[in-house]
Amino acid sequence: MPKDKMSFQATAGTAGLFVVAAALRLLLFTAFPGLPNLLTGRVEISTPVTSFKRLQEGLFLYNHNVSPYDGGVYHQAPLLLPLFSLLPDPSTYPIFTYILYTLVDLLSANALYKIAESGEGGASRLYSSPRKEKRWSGYVVAALFLFNPFTIATCIGRPTSVFTTCAILHAVAKALSGNIFTSMLSLSFAAYLSMYPLLLLPPMVILAYDRTYNPKAPKSLVQLAGMCTLAVGVSLSLLFLSSYALTGSWEFLSSTYGTQLTLTDLTPNAGLWWYFFTEMFDSFRSFFLGVFWLHLSSYTPALTIRLRQQPLAVITLLLGIFAIFKPYPSIADTSLFLSLVPCFRHVFPLLRYSFVTASVVLYGTFLGPAFYHLWVYAGSGNANFFYAITLVWSLGLSLLVSDLAFAVLRDEWEVERPEMRGKEIRQI
Amino acid sequence: MPNVQSFSSLRARSYVFRLPLFTRLMVSAIVVLWLVGIQSAWDLRKWGCLDTERDELFHRTDAYRMNTFPLIHLNLLHALLNLLALTPLLERFESEYGTLTSAAMFFGPLTTIPAIAYVVLERVIFRVNTPVMGASMWVFLLLSVEAMRTYKINPYFIIGTVQVPTWTTPLVMAFVTAALIPSTSFLGHLCGICTGYLFGLGYLKFTAPPEKILRWIEGKLNLLGRLPHYPRRSLWAAARSCRRRPPYISLLLIVVGVAWLFMLPLNDYSRRTYISENALLPGQVHTYFGGSDQNVLRAYRHEVGALENKTNTEVNDKLEHMFRSMGLKVGRQNYTYTTSGNTVAGENVYAILQAPRGDATEAIVLVAAWRNVKGEFNRNGLAVALALTRYFKRWSLWSKDIILVVPPDSRAGTQAWVDAYHDSHDSRRVADLPIKSGALQGALAIDYPQEERFEGVHIVYDGINGQLPNLDLINSVTNIASGQMGMGSSIQHMFHHNDQYRDRLTCMLRGMVNQGLGHAVGPHSSFIPYHVDAITIQPVGQGWHDEMGLGRLVEGTFRSLNNLLEHLHQSFFFYLLMQKERFVSIGTYLPSAMLIAANFTITAIALWVKTGYAPKTKETKDVKEKKEGTDSKKVDQKTEETPAAVERELYLPLSLVTGCQFLGFVPLFVFNHAPASLLAPLFVVVTLLSLVLPHALSFFLVTTYKPTHQQYQLITSFFLLLLGMFLSTLATLNFSLAFLVGLLATPLTFVRPFPKLPAAGYAYSALLSVLNPGVVVLSAAVAATTLQGSSGLGLGVVGVTPWEAVQKTGSSRRSIRLNRVAPPHLGANLRMPSL
Repeated sequence: MPKDKMSFQATAGTAGLFVVAAALRLLLFTAFPGLPNLLTGRVEISTPVTSFKRLQEGLFLYNHNVSPYDGGVYHQAPLLLPLFSLLPDPSTYPIFTYILYTLVDLLSANALYKIAESGEGGASRLYSSPRKEKRWSGYVVAALFLFNPFTIATCIGRPTSVFTTCAILHAVAKALSGNIFTSMLSLSFAAYLSMYPLLLLPPMVILAYDRTYNPKAPKSLVQLAGMCTLAVGVSLSLLFLSSYALTGSWEFLSSTYGTQLTLTDLTPNAGLWWYFFTEMFDSFRSFFLGVFWLHLSSYTPALTIRLRQQPLAVITLLLGIFAIFKPYPSIADTSLFLSLVPCFRHVFPLLRYSFVTASVVLYGTFLGPAFYHLWVYAGSGNANFFYAITLVWSLGLSLLVSDLAFAVLRDEWEVERPEMRGKEIRQI
Repeated sequence: MPNVQSFSSLRARSYVFRLPLFTRLMVSAIVVLWLVGIQSAWDLRKWGCLDTERDELFHRTDAYRMNTFPLIHLNLLHALLNLLALTPLLERFESEYGTLTSAAMFFGPLTTIPAIAYVVLERVIFRVNTPVMGASMWVFLLLSVEAMRTYKINPYFIIGTVQVPTWTTPLVMAFVTAALIPSTSFLGHLCGICTGYLFGLGYLKFTAPPEKILRWIEGKLNLLGRLPHYPRRSLWAAARSCRRRPPYISLLLIVVGVAWLFMLPLNDYSRRTYISENALLPGQVHTYFGGSDQNVLRAYRHEVGALENKTNTEVNDKLEHMFRSMGLKVGRQNYTYTTSGNTVAGENVYAILQAPRGDATEAIVLVAAWRNVKGEFNRNGLAVALALTRYFKRWSLWSKDIILVVPPDSRAGTQAWVDAYHDSHDSRRVADLPIKSGALQGALAIDYPQEERFEGVHIVYDGINGQLPNLDLINSVTNIASGQMGMGSSIQHMFHHNDQYRDRLTCMLRGMVNQGLGHAVGPHSSFIPYHVDAITIQPVGQGWHDEMGLGRLVEGTFRSLNNLLEHLHQSFFFYLLMQKERFVSIGTYLPSAMLIAANFTITAIALWVKTGYAPKTKETKDVKEKKEGTDSKKVDQKTEETPAAVERELYLPLSLVTGCQFLGFVPLFVFNHAPASLLAPLFVVVTLLSLVLPHALSFFLVTTYKPTHQQYQLITSFFLLLLGMFLSTLATLNFSLAFLVGLLATPLTFVRPFPKLPAAGYAYSALLSVLNPGVVVLSAAVAATTLQGSSGLGLGVVGVTPWEAVQKTGSSRRSIRLNRVAPPHLGANLRMPSL
């Protein structure tokens, strides 16, 4: 009985939280009517592959029976188009779009709540942290996500990456609750929308395997991995087929995933690729595209093997790495990464550079728009200003990623070497 | 994190404190003599150097030079390098041989022997005279003593297969020094090295005072007991002072930042202006505005004068008629602004002269507002502009369209026109422009209300939010005015600039205040946010130049702008002018604001580090230290339980800091929406609130939450971190505002509890209240009002908080820029809905 009461209170608290978060978003949408369009235009929020403005363009073409990819502006998945064409025109009735995006944020927060409540961050099947008692409840983690300024800005800027965020978080939540196929379906949706989540498949499989592990009747990991891959393959094929049926050609593959793979659109963003490939001679382009993609994908096996015992940590770290090194990153990816970091509250005391990281990220947040203004609007700066700040921003995020990786590993290490607990160690 | 704090500063400091007496004396002697050498009245260097030319050198009167020359240095760098090299060597020598021996040796044979050798070599063998000074001789001497000692233990070191004797190292170093550093005396070093070798080999031991005598002296005088710095200072004292160092670093940064600003007017730090864009060629063309055009101008002046008391519409009807008779295309634009409860309405009229050699892709703007910023009737300015336009129409050389804009006032009208030109207006209030031309390349406003002839022109260049036009434009006008027209030009109301330090500084500070306030100072100001370089020209003074001269000046400038192949981009957009022909660029001045911003960041980091590591446990301290070391009981109790790292309690500090920062939006909102009549009282109210609020908040905090010492430090840390960050961001957008706000905020760095001196606490909070930006602006406004009798308060309200400025700057983004700079498909996307 008391447990029921507690869960009821928790539910009530979470409901209150969601109501407040939704109210805040709708208030921002309605009280500052210029804000959504302003944020939609920000390069830090909208990238060529997620921009809401470009979605409108694709929608316009789609509704006029022209292939949405004809203009060379729209680079997003085809299935978004019927979804958004169901909504009334956002320029006349924007409120429906606002409600949709708010709901998506709440769904993400709900998934995050489940992830945090599962306690997987501190104690997985193979590893139980000695510090696991110190953790934040799902309520706090969801609140940190919902009131993160990056999340709010993303929601108001309405890039389609929020759907990817939601799908990834649900994939994790479902894997934690043991619904392997739902999880894989969710991951396929994320991969269908943004492609890069496919790299999360190995840790997701391991996470699902660990959570469904039955010591009495142990299943083979290889078998499960095969099944999961098959499930993802089948659902992705279905999604592709329905996209084909929708647009009538396979053009969408090159326009959506091709753009990400070959970086045809060099609009500035918060990442590291655009400047590099603006400067690149054409003859080296394919080589460096290969190098960059190889670099990005090489983290998955490495981290999965090294942190085999803590699959959630792998997913979190990978999301951080994607937020830095993927072709078109935005603050939406950062907010996704930051949303999972609080699940590792127990290793926070082991973080060495938390202050430096926070300062660097804050500096990047404020100087980025200032330098972009100097470059594009005031004309008194140039592209190097903004690129310098994206470097600082990436530095801050990579500090956080490496620091978190250090903390997680240190936590593991202290289990192996209890006598070293609390002592300072130095790499030689 | 502890590495950051205790890197080697602690050791360095304790090292300095453990320096033995003689070394200490020598170091201080060198420093003192360098300080004495700064003044120019008495040439210390000439007095003390080893001058080989003087015949009396070996006589009684000049022999002192043999001992003084190592203590005297040429300049700071010389002294510093030698000190760095000498101190460890001398310290080692002294700790080995003892203070008295060292004193005896270094005032005796070890200085005089090389000196005599040097003089003899110079005078007898080389027959030249190079006076020497500096402690480097000692350095090499001591090095060779060390080298000889090393040689005895470790005779060779091996490079590849070659065995090199270790005693050669000082020689190699002497060679390297002679090769790398100019004007070093190789011979002098060599003398030092030889003496060192001799000493190291033991041949000079006989010169040392006998051991017995030394013992006797030490014993008799009880030197060990009496002299200071024989005993070591306690390590705890060193550690404690190290912990308290960040405030000093911050203070140093502030002092350097402010001093930096005051150095800028010096010749070494500022530069002469120059024309960077070659295409401008200012003053290279003949100007032909004159002759019969004077009659035209008189006629226009007469016509304009007749319109003085007519309504806006009547004036524009007449002007439209005039423009049409010149054969120009004319457009009119209505606008209605409602700001702060006031409604400003009017109608702009403008004419476009289509370029005979252009394709309407580029245009230059000539603005002649009906009334200038002070509300005076711009009669002559408009007449000149009309006559010039008529004159321009006759020429076939224009490659850019020329637009003459006549707004009824100098602020709202131009703003409406520029907004509409760039399609970023609210079409409910501001009408669209019926005709347009190409991208604006530059704008020039004429502000000539005075009736008499003038002496020179005053160039007004400050834009909204502290943005400035390209320096090339100002340079061109100055160049044409003084080089071609022979008229004076001035900036920042400094009509009699003597180009001395004081005037330069005043000029620069006026520029900074204008930039910091960020308000429109002329019709040109509205253009600058759109990346259109613009200035206003005001004829000033009583002289012999007439309107035709002004016309020729404008003609010359327009011819220069006409030459441009691309937008002005070569020269500086960030600069401080301290005279019309002297400026400092961003690289030179930015450090001063950044240093001030950095001082906050450093203190923030230091406080953060401090909160993570409690002070050491008390065993190492003596009782007296313990009493002093406890700022607050709580900290010590806590630290005894957990001696190492402490978990930080972040919730209260974080929420407090976030809450207070967001509170800043309240005044922003209020000031942007309150009616004009209420602005001044509101400003006073907000200022008073900002004075009371901190005390109320701190009372509330103390009574309800009882924050720990750590939480206090965290609150301070976060606030300072944010402050430093905002200021450094702001410094890239508006240097002056960042500097001024940063300067006023500097006392915040040093805020900490004063548990023992409540009076000091009160005094400090009083200081903070006095330096509250609101109070400063208010008192400046009151001072201005009493001084000038004009309403200074309106001026004061403009630049209230950095927030507001940031907000303003942020809101001035314009879509036309997006169209031009962003990739073309975005432009396509913007146009999509009209398909």
